[in-house]
Amino acid sequence: MTTKNPEKGYIALLGWSLNAIDAVDRFDRRYVVVAPPWAEEYCTQNDIPFIPWDFDRLNERSHELAHRLKDEGVDVAIPLFEETVEWAGAINSVLLGNPRLLGQSMLFRDKSLMKRRAQLGGIRVGVFEEAHDRGDVIRFLKRVNQTLLKLEGDPNDPIHFKAFDKSGTAGHRVIRTPEDVDNIPDEEFPALLESHLDGWEFAVEAWIKDRKVQFLNISEYVTLGYSVFVPATPELEAHRARITEEIEKLIETFDIDFGFIHPEYFLTSDNKLYFGEVAYRPPGFNALELIERAYGFNGYQGLVLMFDPKTTQDEIDAFFPRAVEDAKGHAGCFGVYPRRRVVSQLAIPEETANHPYFEFHELSDPMEQKVAKRSAFGTHWGLAYFFGEDAHKLRDLLKHQEDLDFYV
Amino acid sequence: MTEATDDTARLAGTLDVALDRLEQARPFAKQRHRGPVLDVLSRLVRKAGGFEPILERAGRMDAAGLFAGSDWDYPSALLPQLVGTTLDSDDARLAALETASLLRLLNIANGTGSHPALGRDHARNFLTQVLALNLKRFFRFSDEASRALDGREEVNARLLRFISDRVGLRDVLGVLVDEIWRILEQRPVQVGAVKDMIAQIAVALNRQGSEPGAERLGAERLVGALFGPTAETRADPGLDAYLDRLGAMDDPGLSREAMGFARSMHDTGLVSDYHVAFLLWTLDNADRDLVPEALGLGSTGLDCWRHYGSLIEDLIRAAVSLYTPQAVYGLSALLDRGVLHYAPIAPALKRVLRIDLCAAVRARIALGFGHETPAATILLAGALEVIGLPLGVGQGANPTCQSARAISMWALNDPDYLLHLVLEAAELDTIQMHFEGTPIESATLPAGLGGAGPIDADPLSVLLVPHLDRIYAEMGRLCAGREGDPHRWINPEFHGWWVRRDCVVAVDVATGRLVDYDGFIARFHQSYHPEHNGNRPLIHPQPAGIAFTDTTGTFVGWHAITILRVAPGRSGEMRVYFYNPNNDSGQDWGCGVAVSTAGNGERHGEASLEFEQFLSRLYLFHDQPQRRSDVAEVPAAAHDRVRRMAQESWASDRMLDAALPAAAWQAGTTLE
Repeated sequence: MTTKNPEKGYIALLGWSLNAIDAVDRFDRRYVVVAPPWAEEYCTQNDIPFIPWDFDRLNERSHELAHRLKDEGVDVAIPLFEETVEWAGAINSVLLGNPRLLGQSMLFRDKSLMKRRAQLGGIRVGVFEEAHDRGDVIRFLKRVNQTLLKLEGDPNDPIHFKAFDKSGTAGHRVIRTPEDVDNIPDEEFPALLESHLDGWEFAVEAWIKDRKVQFLNISEYVTLGYSVFVPATPELEAHRARITEEIEKLIETFDIDFGFIHPEYFLTSDNKLYFGEVAYRPPGFNALELIERAYGFNGYQGLVLMFDPKTTQDEIDAFFPRAVEDAKGHAGCFGVYPRRRVVSQLAIPEETANHPYFEFHELSDPMEQKVAKRSAFGTHWGLAYFFGEDAHKLRDLLKHQEDLDFYV
Repeated sequence: MTEATDDTARLAGTLDVALDRLEQARPFAKQRHRGPVLDVLSRLVRKAGGFEPILERAGRMDAAGLFAGSDWDYPSALLPQLVGTTLDSDDARLAALETASLLRLLNIANGTGSHPALGRDHARNFLTQVLALNLKRFFRFSDEASRALDGREEVNARLLRFISDRVGLRDVLGVLVDEIWRILEQRPVQVGAVKDMIAQIAVALNRQGSEPGAERLGAERLVGALFGPTAETRADPGLDAYLDRLGAMDDPGLSREAMGFARSMHDTGLVSDYHVAFLLWTLDNADRDLVPEALGLGSTGLDCWRHYGSLIEDLIRAAVSLYTPQAVYGLSALLDRGVLHYAPIAPALKRVLRIDLCAAVRARIALGFGHETPAATILLAGALEVIGLPLGVGQGANPTCQSARAISMWALNDPDYLLHLVLEAAELDTIQMHFEGTPIESATLPAGLGGAGPIDADPLSVLLVPHLDRIYAEMGRLCAGREGDPHRWINPEFHGWWVRRDCVVAVDVATGRLVDYDGFIARFHQSYHPEHNGNRPLIHPQPAGIAFTDTTGTFVGWHAITILRVAPGRSGEMRVYFYNPNNDSGQDWGCGVAVSTAGNGERHGEASLEFEQFLSRLYLFHDQPQRRSDVAEVPAAAHDRVRRMAQESWASDRMLDAALPAAAWQAGTTLE
């Protein structure tokens, strides 16, 4: 056991993430996991401090949980998933005596509110609108394409559809035709509609303390929903100063004192930065693991430092390396999705297995032979990890994986 | 090659990355990090020099928790015979896990590493057995080191060679040879696996050579028994050349060949293909009768030959072929048992010679033994072997010890009844028995415990067990609702009138707890122990049930055996000699109770234990209902010893008031 420092904060982790628990258990802060009751037996068996809680609906009971944590001596709550972001806001507004935090968390949870707030703060966003039913989507698709002076019969420019409260690529659909609209399930409404931006898409992971960016990582997407790597190519890193300014705008606009944000941006061909969306929680796709592979620090432990009101600046300076220059190499991962309709086994392509950049994978044999048609983004079957010195080589390698069969 | 070495070094670095993550993760979070380690291992093993970095990290991988949560976390409980299957697994990660485990054991065996639960000798012994059991893979590529390094077989062959280079081949041969002799000493009917191993040894001796010594001598005797048992076959000339040679030999030469074959066969229980060829040749070509010499008959066998020579010749022509060489040994043993002198046996064998197999049976036999030889030949050969070697019947890998035991018991005690069943099952695909007057017809019953029945056992078992298993299960159903252990009623009805009608059970069927264990101990002494029962020998084999325990003395399941006789062993101690339908009776039942199969007065196929040790694992036996008056009291000390041995093994928690799984009525179900 790592010795826990009683001088430092006592952390509550909201949501069940074994990786996060493992990282925090190895860190010097006391912690308690707040997660659904099904996790209780596991926690008891493994000596994981635990409070059972059902996060299904935010209601007046958030107050109850906040006071329970306060009585327990907890200093701050950290959300691990989109679904626990507003719980953390509600709890921290009690624990830290700052009612503003609840309102702030609501902004992060509603993609439409988030976008309007960003726009009000002078941040450049694309054309967007809210959709409550399929009719709204059709209208938006038509209007965007009329604006682009498309003629009847020309292929449409796509629009993006994002369920309001889903995280990452879950619930993110690209809409080109009215048929695509028909395929949207009812439960994904309401949603945010956005025009499509051609450009370079990337994400930022920013650890924030005292309204200051303490560490900023740029995750370069090779293909959205498939592959990402860190640090980004020198070409994208060249924009780091501008990107940092954009993050500082977010800090001001969303009034962020501390924590961790994970925004997405577009850099268009006319060299403009467009804000996509932002989340107040760790990213999906194991981005923190890629960062750890490249830089050697554990992102969850970094989160704890940011949230803990008792953290000192010295601690932070000792914790984070220098961005880009301290990276040991570039780490990337590829989300594997079967390309064939019917598969029987996992077979890592020979060229991948033998590539010096390939490290290992977390794929397992197929549970079903018939592959469901991929709807929206996300739901990959597992990740393959790569690491190498040359960012361009890594990027091309990740791109090339899309043409290979991992399941045959 | 340098490229491969670079690859190896790079992958070793990647292994460190994955291993670091596994190492630092808390126990509850390790599971996710095992996959990547195994993934890298599965690629590293394919590289030249890939085993060295794994061996170097073997201790670290173990300490990091690579094996935690799996069977491999208990290295002392691992079974060497399972290793080969895991290495061949389609799941590359499972194979990688086994590889890592073997190299961890190698690390312990060569003294570089250590493990709290496994000593150096144990590790070494385990690896030696793994190598012995996998000789086949091991030598397949031994001359072809330059072959492309791909394919699972090649990887496994290299792994085994990597280990053997560090453990020593001489050890391996020694262990394997001892193991084969130990099994052959039990004279099993099924010798396919043994012959296979001997063939591997022959290849090994041939390719690798080995230092002269006791191991080599034992190995050469085995190889010789199969490939060159006589003066003229020593150089393994091939069957055609040998048959040519026979035509040019004089009488003394032929006689010498016949005796050479017989000597080798009786030495090992194995029949060489040359022996088959010689025997068939001699029927048509020799001027003089060489059959008795070639069979190595004793006086009883010779007497049978004089009475039934033409029947025996017919049996040889019908049963002995290159696909059924062991029929020669079966026939020889059958003749020496003198069973041909039982009035019904000769006509029963004549009936089997004219057997008219139904199509389903033909198909079933072909499923087990292939299409190369007529099913009737296989069946007749099986009948000769089973009746010749009743204690050589094994159940294969099937939960059908009851049926195997019954076949063995009939072969021993009631061979004409066994032949009657063979004819009924082979021609009509059914068997009829009665249970307390109620007729039972196997063809009308659903499958029993053994499902569709074995195809990995001897031909008679393949034929009979599906029927017997159903009948046995039906008798169980007919006992439903009766109080007590149903074997009380089933055993006499199923096996024969000679099973004693009273049945003593140590365990309460409903609760699984011991009941009147002192009475049980006393009664077994007074019924079976010559010094307590008025020196009355056991007349007929008696079915009995044991609580089967593993090497740690932990209860595994109930198992059916046959008590054959109770007699003093070589050093005067009273022993129970019994038949165990498991394929290998030499078993360690834990807590010092090791079943012996040779060296303590056992006849071929018998297992034996000291009387009290045996009694400590017994939970059910049959006895006559009437008590005799001249029985001797059993001293309290004997009670204590038996009770203690039972208590420290299978009965440890059966004395308490704890709820336990009740003794299922399928008490004979072996979990082996």
